[in-house]
This record gives sequence, structure tokens and C-alpha cells, in this order.
Amino acid sequence: MGRPGFVLEVDDRTPPLLVPDGDRFQLEKFPLGTRVIYPAESLARVPDLGEAINAALDTPLDSAPLLALLKPEMRLTIAFDDIGTPTPRMRRPDIRGKVIEAVLSRAAAAGVDNVALVSANGLNRRMTSEELQYLVGERVFRSFYVDGLLANHDAEDTDNLAKIGTTVTAEIAVNARAASSDLLIFVHLVAGPPPGAAAIAAGLGSTATIGQLSGPQGPGNDVAAQIADLVTSAIPIFEIDAVLDNDVLAPPVEFLGHREWEWSLKDRATWFGMRRGLEWSPQRARRRLMNRAEGNYHATLVTAGSPAAVQRASQAQIMAQQRVEVSAAADVGVLGVGAHIPYSVDSVTNPILAAWSGLAAGFSSHTGTPFVRPGGALILYHPLYAEFSPLHHPSYVDFFTDVLTITTSPERIAADYEEKFANDSWYVHLYRTGHAFHGVHPMYLWYQTAAAQRHCSDIVWVGADRESAARMGFRAASTLADALEIVASTVGRTPSISYLHSPPPVLVDIK
Amino acid sequence: MTAAPADSDLSVQRLDGRLRDLLAGKKIVMTGVTGFIGEQLLWKILTELPETRPSVLVRRKGSASARERMIAVVKKSIFNDLRKAAGGPAELLDTRVEVIEGDLPNVPQLPSDLDIVVHCAGDVSFDPPIDQAFTTNVIGTKALLDRMLEAVADESGQLRRIPHYVHISTAYTAGRRRGAILEAPHAHDIDYDAETAAGIAMRDLIEEESRTSAQLARLREDAEREHRQAGFLTTAADTERRRIEWVQAELVKAGTERARSLGWTDVYTFTKALGERVVTDVGQGVYVSIVRPAIVESSWLHPYPGWIEGFKMAEPLILAYGRGELPEFPATPEAVVDIVPCDHVVNAILAVCATRPEIGEPEYYHVNSGARNPLTFKDLYTYIRAYFLEHPFEGGPRGAARLPQWTFPGASSIERLLSTSDRAHKLAERVLAQMPRSDRTRKIAKDLDRTRVRLDFVRRYHTLYKEYAQSELHFVDDNTFALTRALHPDDQAAFAFDTAVFDWKTYIQEVHCPSITAPVRRMEAIRSKRGNRPTTMKDLAKDAAGATAVAIFDLDGTIMSTNVIEQYLWARLPELSRTRQLAEVGRVVRRLPSYLRAEQRDRGTFLRAVYRRYRGADLAALERFIDTSMAPHILSRLSPEAVRRIREHRAAGHTTILITGVVRPLTRPIQQLFDVIVAAELGVDDEGRCTGFLSAPPLVGESRAAWLKHYATSHNVDLDRSFAYADSHSDLPMLESVGNAVAVSPDIPLMRAAHRNQWSVVEWKIKPITPRWALPT
Repeated sequence: MGRPGFVLEVDDRTPPLLVPDGDRFQLEKFPLGTRVIYPAESLARVPDLGEAINAALDTPLDSAPLLALLKPEMRLTIAFDDIGTPTPRMRRPDIRGKVIEAVLSRAAAAGVDNVALVSANGLNRRMTSEELQYLVGERVFRSFYVDGLLANHDAEDTDNLAKIGTTVTAEIAVNARAASSDLLIFVHLVAGPPPGAAAIAAGLGSTATIGQLSGPQGPGNDVAAQIADLVTSAIPIFEIDAVLDNDVLAPPVEFLGHREWEWSLKDRATWFGMRRGLEWSPQRARRRLMNRAEGNYHATLVTAGSPAAVQRASQAQIMAQQRVEVSAAADVGVLGVGAHIPYSVDSVTNPILAAWSGLAAGFSSHTGTPFVRPGGALILYHPLYAEFSPLHHPSYVDFFTDVLTITTSPERIAADYEEKFANDSWYVHLYRTGHAFHGVHPMYLWYQTAAAQRHCSDIVWVGADRESAARMGFRAASTLADALEIVASTVGRTPSISYLHSPPPVLVDIK
Repeated sequence: MTAAPADSDLSVQRLDGRLRDLLAGKKIVMTGVTGFIGEQLLWKILTELPETRPSVLVRRKGSASARERMIAVVKKSIFNDLRKAAGGPAELLDTRVEVIEGDLPNVPQLPSDLDIVVHCAGDVSFDPPIDQAFTTNVIGTKALLDRMLEAVADESGQLRRIPHYVHISTAYTAGRRRGAILEAPHAHDIDYDAETAAGIAMRDLIEEESRTSAQLARLREDAEREHRQAGFLTTAADTERRRIEWVQAELVKAGTERARSLGWTDVYTFTKALGERVVTDVGQGVYVSIVRPAIVESSWLHPYPGWIEGFKMAEPLILAYGRGELPEFPATPEAVVDIVPCDHVVNAILAVCATRPEIGEPEYYHVNSGARNPLTFKDLYTYIRAYFLEHPFEGGPRGAARLPQWTFPGASSIERLLSTSDRAHKLAERVLAQMPRSDRTRKIAKDLDRTRVRLDFVRRYHTLYKEYAQSELHFVDDNTFALTRALHPDDQAAFAFDTAVFDWKTYIQEVHCPSITAPVRRMEAIRSKRGNRPTTMKDLAKDAAGATAVAIFDLDGTIMSTNVIEQYLWARLPELSRTRQLAEVGRVVRRLPSYLRAEQRDRGTFLRAVYRRYRGADLAALERFIDTSMAPHILSRLSPEAVRRIREHRAAGHTTILITGVVRPLTRPIQQLFDVIVAAELGVDDEGRCTGFLSAPPLVGESRAAWLKHYATSHNVDLDRSFAYADSHSDLPMLESVGNAVAVSPDIPLMRAAHRNQWSVVEWKIKPITPRWALPT
């Protein structure tokens, strides 16, 4: 059992602190009095993963044991999270594979023949065969992939989408194989607060279905709940959750997640070498290096059973792992955007993804109240190079070039451009046959940054490409001191500052 | 300064009356009226000599008849008042000017009532081809005189009236003589008929030489070095262009050398000198005056101070200096620049017209400033420099240019500097040709080109003006000075031509420089307003061509960063075992030099050589492999800007075409973007295995243009409204065949062609995220 997270107040003795900055790290000297929110160390891991999985499957929450649910003639579908969860990717073997193997061995014992596996990638890019193999393990891959029984979900494949009901706004359609199954087993790795049963629609739904969960105002609670109800009532679901610990970084760089004053001599030497190495290597090499990083995750809890019960258990465990109590929201929030973003695995972190990671993922990692007060300022670290992967993010380039130059308003974007991007045949083609994120994907991410933009009066990026920052409606500063100078007009010369020291992840809980 | 000669010394006949009265009722036949001096001469006659009857000999130019050309002349602003008074340009001509359409030397019949002939037509260039110089200055002059004599002769050949022939020559007919040049014939005994015959014959001689196999081979090789990849027709067109240029250059050289061998600086002054001799010989029985102006520049007073038409001798130099592009000049600082304002020349000509020389005793007049108001090179430089320091050119985004400070190091040191620069430039060019294509090489090439233009400019003017800028000629102008003194007091205001009346500082800084820089400044203002960009990269949202236009794209290097060898390795290696992979890579690497040689020679040969390696590949399997495994490799090397542009073309309703030497299966991942794909087709045997041969020749170079033209006719496409995008010089014919060509990250020859043709040059960045050596799996 590790130490809980805590809040450090910067004083004279505080060393410079680590700040992720794209595919680099900075050591930043923060002003005296800055509150630094440190994540908790990992909770105790399950002693034996195999045993924990078996236990979860055999004594599920609010459900009969899995074996009892399996019948020889049934259609069984196993859905699982795609390569974007968790980031950085998990060191082999992936827990998903372990869980799936356990499920399959029970299915075999029960004589179930009709089994298919589908990744719940929603509008994310199709995974490559190597990535699929990485997630499910070599044995499962070998048995299912060549027969087409292990596949990516395709939100545009109208022949393989089934309507399961209608919400107040539109009809809901999900993967036909999943919808027509007698049992859908959903294997989920929990690295943050679980999103609820609507996640199944977000991973396996049609483009229109996912669109209802992704409007500029965010999903209305009732729509999300309606969809969750529709899904759970239409499909019998058996959910298996594995909650991950905070060991986001694997040796030899695991010390980056530790508290700076506790770095050993060896850590410091590694840091020195790493920093020089990253500085001197060209951007592409740096990116490749960062893309290769892996997390040393372990499960701290495995549960199975009815989605609602499992999610409650996971929620509680995540709170125990990630919650850090903070006394008050600050005038100025600081956070660094690192290289590992769910939508840029093995790819390029473009400015929109960086903005999403900072403003949507980082900023909204709280239990109800953000760590910056309303009207406060947010300072982020990322270079925001206007670089895009033509393979993975073709519509992002166009969104960045053609749309953001005209408007950054989510409402206007939704009204004027969303449909065009959603129905664009070239994007659809690349999404379905290449490895591209769906055409409308950048907009959905952009909408998610809106809450932070409304909440904060100033958003400043340190060390960022000025043109990219300006295009997205932000400001750029060369140093933290300059950024504080810029925001002084709204928060004054002596603001209270909080630095969210992450990764590993932190759930801020304002008292 | 020479003291003004006393009136009693004058041999000139006195002008006893005002010019308007002396020339009243006279018919003056004029040549060269569309030129600089002629235009003002006509204006002066129409304005100041109401009863004089000008009659102008004008040649057709293209489809414009003589009358149409004259209408254009009198539409110019200096004729505004005259035009208004007459009621229009046509009316002005009808009431005051007789237009005779004709040419030199094919002069038509001249009016029989002519009194005076003023011949001021001629080449203004110092270095015309030798045959042209003789035709204009000797044969043309003789023909004009002959026609004049015919016009005033009766059937028996007796002159009915004795006309006055006024010949406009140049002070520099003195050639390489030194010291005082008198207003008298130059002493020489050259047989102008023989010289003319020889000069004219040079054209045939040199034409013939240019067609010898040795010469043609040399020219073709030069053209091939630059254009081989673009194809035979482009090379041929360039060879012929080079031949014509060569003939021209040789004729110029022949002229200069002949002139120098006889004591003249260039063929212009040489033939002008022979022309004077023709005039005195043929005009023995009539009144003859010869006016020899020095360097004629903008007007001092009339029609307004600074009036000038077109650019004369000094303007390009002054403007280049103002732009900071003339580092030094081969002048002797103390040498006299003999400039004379245009209105003084015009006035002098009209005053000469009113004189009556002795028959058989031609009068000579030097119209110049050097004798009594000399301007040294040093002073000229000082005044011009001061002018530009006070009124610099805006000079674009980097502000005004730095003005060079001349030290007048002398011609030989400039010559040395020039040849060193030339050698350095050639060396840099050779190095550049070997450098890989990149932003930086393009920038270097641009700088080199700019240097080349400047070097050529300096060299050209150096050669042309070297002698003039160092000449120690002293033109005596006693006759002319006497003539201006002889003007009636009431004529002094309008007709005086005493070059001692103005000071040079005022003339240069307040009259001449403002006048000649005005158009440049206007252009600058327009340019800074609209930007200086060529605009073939049009905004497609405003394009209305729709289905009548196509947008044609090259693949390699334009919309994608790969090459056929790389593609081949991607496509073939994954199916081989590790050891066989290595062996295959080894074989390809070994053959690389020969592939590169083939590519240099002819892209088609190169493609065929590489595609030979596909022999034995199963085409269906290859296609499957490309769809599943190679597509990401190909898509990740697509330029986002290119894709956006292609999609914009589609949105505008254009037909999008991909034309490439790549094998068709490799275009599969991007076929959705294009309506038509033209690619190399791999031939297959009965079992579906590739034979290593193509089923049709690959479309490269000119065959792309031919294909496009054929496609356009068969599909009703308007090529002028169409677009083409390519990166290499071999695509030049294709780019040339459409109205909107865009060079994409071009190689240097294409960049130069784009610059010449005013095409947009865009950079479509392609940064693949996977390294080159990563194989599809």
C-alpha cells in the first residue's frame, strides 16, 4: 500500500519540479507558495492476477457466475477497450488478454462455439493486426483473427449495425454482432472514473449514436442515461473491470512519477542522460522513443457482473487510488501535457490532441470542482507543433487549417461544419479502410475543451508554437514567468497557484 | 569651357525671321516619328509651327497600319491640347498630318511637293546584328534619299525643286578618334557599298554555320543537359531557340569586330558614320545638313521638364544603381558624359530645317553639352547618388537597398572582378546541380539566379559603354551655338538650344531622375498593394470552370514522398525470407548507380529497369498485400496539403486526374481521390504472374502532355482553365499545357521554369512518421 497523494507547498527547499512538455520534460522552479498536487502511490496490487480473474468470474457482483450464463448454442461476443486505454500502453501481457483467455476457457468448457471478439474503438482508428495481437495475446489472436472473428468495430458499416431503440433525439444503433448476441461480455480496463454503460454505445455504436454523446454541450445527462438504459435492456451484458494502479511509468524511467526530492543518485543520473538525449535527438526520434514507452500497470481490483454493480466497485477503487484532497481552487492552475494521449498512440500529438489532453482530460480530472476557480487562469506546457499524421489524423489537419482559422466556437463548428466532416466520403473511406480517426473526431474532442475554456478567463501555453496557440484561441508564452505576467491582468500579481503534478493520474477533490 | 565664337566668325546663314514664318507652308517629310525624338519633333511642329505641313513615313507593325500607329501616337498626353482643338485624334491627323505608310529601306513614293526631309529613324541599340545595322543605317538612308530625289525630279531626271535633307546622326560617329571633333565630315576612305554587301552577307554565312552538324550537335547537347528529362520535343524546341540566339549573338559579334577593325567602337556608330557618307555622296545636288546629337536624354523644358519616352542609354544604369545592383562602373571619373536634353535636339533640328546650306557643302551640327557645359562622370555619379539617398526606392519588404559607393577602380579591375564572379558562379552552379532537392537548395538557386542576372547586366553594360565612359572626345559645337544665337529673339523662349543654360545638379536631381523613376515607383506601389505573387494557385472557391476543367497531379514528390525503388522494396520484400530480403536489397543497391544513370538519361528507361524486378510477382497477391499492409505506408506519406487541394478541386466540380509512372496497384489506396488514374500497367502471364514488362510504355515527360491534350479534346475539357501540379522538370510539357500550372516543391530547373512562366511555387511538406526503412508487415 503506497502513500496517498498530497499537496506540497513550494518553499525555499523545494527543488525544481518535473513538468511534462510534449515529448520532453522540463524541470521548473515554481514560485514560493505554489501548491503542488502530487498523485498517490499505487495501491496494493492483486497478489495473483489469474486467481483474481477467476474469483471475479466465479463470484460476480449482482449476477450469476459466468459459467452459469454460458450455454452451448448461444452467440457470445466479447468487446474490449482499444489501444487508447491505458496510455502509455501496458507492458505485455495485457490484462485484457488474460481476462479474455479466462472467459474463453469457460466458454469452451460450456461448449460455446459461436464466439466473436470486437474492439470497442468507436470513432477511433482501426487497430492494426499487431496492435490487436498485443491486446488479446498471441493465442487468442491466432485462433480468431484469420477467421474474421476478431475485428475492429466499424461505426460506418451500415450492414453491421443494428437499431436497438430511439432516444428523444435520434435512433440508437450498435454493432450488430453485439446486439444480436445472447451475452455481451465487456472487458474494461479502468484507469480513470468509469463512464457508465453509455460507454458501450460510445465504443460500439454507429456514428450518429456516438454523435449524440458528443455534442458541443456534452451529452445531456438524460440522453446518456437513456442510451445506457437502452443498451442494458437490449443486450444482456456481463462486464469485467480491472482497475489499474498508478504505475504509469515502467523502469528505468519510473522515477519520473516519484517525488523529486526522493530521486536517488541513479535516478538523477538517468534523468540527466535522458534529458540530454531528448534534447539532442531530432523530433522524430524523440517521438519514436516516447511512443515506445510502456506502463508497468497492475490490477488492484478485478470485478465482474452486472455493469452497474461493477462500475460502482470500480468507481470506489479509482477514488481510493487517485483522489487527492485539495483545500481550495487556485487562481492559476498549471499542468503539463505529456506525450501519451489516447488518440496519438504510435502517432503524432497534434495541437488539437494536446489541447484536448490539457483542457478536457487534465482539467476535468476532478470529483466535481476543478482545481482552478471560475474566472481563473490555466497555464499549460506543450510545444503545440502544427504537425499531423496524415495516416491517423487526416481530418484533424483540415479542421485545424480550414475550420479553426474561421471559428473556434463549438456551437458554430457544430452548426456549420460538423455534418460536412461527418459525412465526408474520403474521411469515411480512410476510417473504414485505413487507420484514420473518423472525420468528425477532432470536433468531438474540441467540444470537450469548451468547458475549460468557459471556466477559465485566460489559457496560456508555455513554450508553444505561437501560431498554433493563437489559431485555437489561446496565448503562448516562452516561460512560466512570462505566462504569469500575461495572466496578471486577470488574476493579479500574487495569485494562488496550483500545479497538478501528473502523470500518474490525480482526481482532484476540492474540500 | 570654350569661349563662345564671335558672331562675325559664323559661317552659318543667319535666320532672318521667326521659325514659324521661315517654315510656313513648307512640307516636312519625317521618319522615326513613332520614336523618341521624332514624337517630340512632330509635337513641336504641330504646336509651334501652325503653317508647316508635316508628312510622316511610318511602317506597319503587325496588324497595326501606319495610320493606326499614328493615332496611337497623337493619343499620348502631350498631344492633349492639339487633339482637343482638332476634335479628336483622327481629326488632328486629317487636318495637320499626312501619313505615308512605308518602311526603310523599302521607301514608297514621297510627295512631290516636299521641301524638307528629316531622317531621324534608326536603331537605338548599340549592338544590333550587323546586317540589320547596315540595312537601317546605310541602305535605308540611301533609299530615302533616292526616293526624295525621285519625288522632286521631273521625267528627265532634272530636279524641279531643291529639297533640304536633314540627317540625324550621332556625335559618336567619330568612333575611336580622340580629342576635338569638328563639325565636319570624318576622314576615312571606306567603301561603304562593299562594307554593306559584306555585312549583309554575314547573315547567310552565320545562318549556314549554325546549321552545320557540329554546331547543331553542340547546341543539342547543351539543351539536353537542361531538358533531357522533359523529352525530345522540349529539347528540340530549346535547341532551335539556342540556335537562333547563337546566330543573333554571332551577328552582333561580327558587327562589333568589323567596327573595331576599322576604328569604331560598335556597329551602330560605324554604320551611322557610313550613313553620313552616303548622305553627302547622294545628296551632292541638294541642301544637306547633318545633325549629330550626343546622348539624348529627357527634356529640359518642353513639352514639360523631364519628358522622356521609353528608356534610353543611361536609364537602366541609373535605375539599377537606385536598386543597389550596380556595384561599380568602368568609367574614368573625369570623363565627360555628353548628355543633351531631347528638347534641345528637337529645337536644333527645326532651326537647321530653316537654314539653307550651300549645295554640295553639307553643314554639320554637334548638339551636345560637353563643349560648353561639361558633366563629368564623377559629378553625374554624385548627383544620382544624392538623388537616391534623398528619394530611395521603397524596395519591398526589406526596405530600401544599400547604394553602392563607386571608387572608379578602372575598367580592367572591374573586368577581373567580373570574370572571377563568373567563374565562382559557374562553380556554384555545378555544385548546386549535384545537391539534393530541398528548400535550402531552392533558396541557393534563387540567390544564384539573382546574381546571374546582375552579373549579366553589369557585363552587358560594361561591354557596351566601356568605351563611351572613358572616351576623351571633345565635340566642338560652334555651328550649333551660332545657330541658337541666330534665332529670332521672339523664338528664344520656345526654340533655344544652348546647353550651357542649365546646371547639371538641377537637371539630374530635379528633372531627369524624378521623371525616369516615376514609372518604377508606380509599379512598386501597385506591387506592394497586390503582393508580388504569381497566382496560378487560385482560390478554388471562386472558380467557376466546373466540369470543363481538370486538375492533374503527379504522384512522386508532388503529393507523396516516395520513389519507385522504395515502393518496389516495400511491395516485394515482406514475402521473402530474411536472408532473401537481404540478398534482394543487396542486388538493388548494387544496381543503384545504373538506375540513377538511367534516371538522368530518361525516366522511362529507369522505370522499365526497376519494374523488370517485379517479374514473377503474383499480381492478385500483390494487390491484396497493398490493400492490407502497404496502404498505411502509402497513406502516411501523403501530403495533407496535397490531399486538401485535390479535394478542393473535387468540390469545385473539376475532374481530378492522377498521372504517374508508378505501377497501378500502388495507387489503390488513393484511388478514391481521383476520377481518372493513369499509371504504369504491369504485364501479367496466364497465371496472373507479373512478366516484369509493362503492358504499355510508362507515361513520362512529353507523353503526359500528349495524353492530357488528347483527353481534353475527347472529354471537352478547357485546358486554359485547368490545373496541373508537379514537382520535376520532366513534367514541364504537362504544366505548360494548362492555364494554371503549379510547381510543388520543385527541383531547380522546374523552379526556374516556374519563375519564368509566373507560376505559383508551393511547398507541400511531407513528413512521414515512420522511417524509410520500416517495412510493411
